[in-house]
Amino acid sequence: MAGHNESEKKSSDAVNDLQTFRAENLQSNMKVIYYSRTFLSIIGGVIAGILGFTGLTGFVFYFLVMAITSVALIAKAKFSIHTYFDSWNRVVFDGFLGGLLSFVLFWTFAYDIVHIF
Amino acid sequence: MGFSVGFVIGFVGVLILFHAAYSTTQYKGLLKITEDDFSGPPFNVVVELIVGLVLCTWAAITVPGIFLSIHPHSDDNRMVSLPDNLDFIIFNHRGKVLVPEINMKSEH
Repeated sequence: MAGHNESEKKSSDAVNDLQTFRAENLQSNMKVIYYSRTFLSIIGGVIAGILGFTGLTGFVFYFLVMAITSVALIAKAKFSIHTYFDSWNRVVFDGFLGGLLSFVLFWTFAYDIVHIF
Repeated sequence: MGFSVGFVIGFVGVLILFHAAYSTTQYKGLLKITEDDFSGPPFNVVVELIVGLVLCTWAAITVPGIFLSIHPHSDDNRMVSLPDNLDFIIFNHRGKVLVPEINMKSEH
């Protein structure tokens, strides 16, 4: 009888340790965030290039664009982050560095086309 | 795959950005003739860039899809369909046979 109780206890512990959110839905939400960030970094890069930003100004502009994106994504989540994500970092920081690379690429591309050629 | 409203808006935004780039090159050509220095893009280009950014932000927020709730008990995650092979699932249990016998024994 003791062994039976023990195994029952163990299984209930396993149930308690189980994650309390849907991993597939979280992954799908993250994919949506990556799409949005990548697209807006490209657009931000083009705009920075057309405006003729050089040096630090461009990176400040990137921070600005990403801040706008974060606010827009939070608004899309109807300001209840914990319904759709497990932490704030997911919506505020994920995809930041990858977007930076796209941003620099299109920034230099647009700057070259508009201001150099 | 049909074009959604958000996709069309994003496309218009990108077109506006291209037009802004073209206007800037024209303006640079004008500056070359008048031999002025480039201090910043003209006003209409700035307006176009802002409009383009707003449209593209709208597209980037709406096009990739909707957020799905990660709460296991929310309405989004309810299972609304039964498995297709219900006819092959047998709902039977030995208790069906055993329980009447036990009751008989206890009565005796």
